[in-house]
Amino acid sequence: MRGAWRALLRLFAVQASWNYERMQGIGMGYAAEPLLADLKRSVPARYPQAVVRSAEYFNCHPYLAGLALGALARAEQEGVPGPQILRLRTALCSPLGALGDQVFWAGLVPALVGAALVAATVGSGPAAVAAFLVVFNGCRLATAWWALRTGLAFGLDVGRAMQLSWLSRAAARLGPAAGFAVGLAIPVVVGHFLQGAPGWAVVATVGVCGLGALLMRRFGATVTAVRYGLVMVVLALLWR
Amino acid sequence: MLPFSPTTWVSLLAWGTLVGLDLVSVPQLLLSRPLVAGTVAGWLVGDVESGLRVGMILELFALDILAVGGARYPDYGPGTVAAVALAAGPTLGPAGLGPAILVGLAVAGLGGWSLSWLRHANSRSVQQRTAALAAGDMRAIRGLQYLGLWRDAARSLGLTALGLGVGVLAARWPLGGDRWLEVVAVTGSGAAAAATGALRNAGRGARLRWLAAGAGLGTLWTVLR
Repeated sequence: MRGAWRALLRLFAVQASWNYERMQGIGMGYAAEPLLADLKRSVPARYPQAVVRSAEYFNCHPYLAGLALGALARAEQEGVPGPQILRLRTALCSPLGALGDQVFWAGLVPALVGAALVAATVGSGPAAVAAFLVVFNGCRLATAWWALRTGLAFGLDVGRAMQLSWLSRAAARLGPAAGFAVGLAIPVVVGHFLQGAPGWAVVATVGVCGLGALLMRRFGATVTAVRYGLVMVVLALLWR
Repeated sequence: MLPFSPTTWVSLLAWGTLVGLDLVSVPQLLLSRPLVAGTVAGWLVGDVESGLRVGMILELFALDILAVGGARYPDYGPGTVAAVALAAGPTLGPAGLGPAILVGLAVAGLGGWSLSWLRHANSRSVQQRTAALAAGDMRAIRGLQYLGLWRDAARSLGLTALGLGVGVLAARWPLGGDRWLEVVAVTGSGAAAAATGALRNAGRGARLRWLAAGAGLGTLWTVLR
């Protein structure tokens, strides 16, 4: 389908107009424009309604939005009835959101961040940051392209393509990797900053960490990470 | 006053705007992660080491976030840029970690509120163009998209400018306390944030066991180093 590259580029801004009315809907409509160009020429009567549907409410993980975009654009090209397209659009939100969150936000990102933090403590800071960006964005770009191509190839059958894909397996493998990397990074980073510290500072750090973790687990809505950090730093600065 | 050239100030403002945009709007390449934003900001002010130090601490705080759906979460990018500018200044020098993290966290928290404002403003714009959207007007979609981008750029620029302004003010007062107390406060609370996020994501399955294994190995490594 023509316009796939332009649609892919536009998908990088799929959340630029994120709002509480339609969430990513406007961004999806903007990304769909190049894919609907053929429809405008071939079936002009259908085009305005396709544009309306393309900007309806939608929300999923932004890196997997291409799966939905491709599938919906192909359905429009094939003349699938509008209500059926809207049902597919609604049905894709939750699985794409949940899978994307597991693979990226709770998997790949913390795994790579944890690894980069550990690498930064052993003196390879800028190189670790560069490697983090290259590896993550390599995965991110490959996923975006795969998602759009798969959506365009499978159309209404995109649900089956998702079931057969690598996404579930990746989520299952990345979770433990992320847990290990973050678990490793926390004491290593703290130890890095406490090098040469007196004994009381080490004990106090463990105390501040334990108290914070307890308060955030117990009163998470009130005691956020930012608030706890602000209070602790202010106390440290006032204590002379 | 932080002793940067006009070019450096403009670079910091531009970088802060870019990382603010990267968080949600475009291009979502994780430039907004504190580790990345801090290292590049450090390079811009000629002090990569300070950038890394601030970035590592704020990255621990950022590990608490799970950026799902319409949840409101802190915007650490512009705050990290401001924090690095303050930490790299000679007024505070290496003892500036506490004040720098204070500025970074405050701006990050404010960034979370500004994201909520942005989303409400975008919602109002969508409501105003309901008729055009219902008619299938692609120009309305493009207009909303560009408006959202400009708004987020203005939000990110404003947040960075505010953070740098607070940094300039903070550098005038002797905020520095006991160096080790500052390290205790920032690393202890950062570790608490990262551990809370990790435990939340881990649940009760294999991931929790891997988290415990990592923490055990990390502690052993730290003790033996």
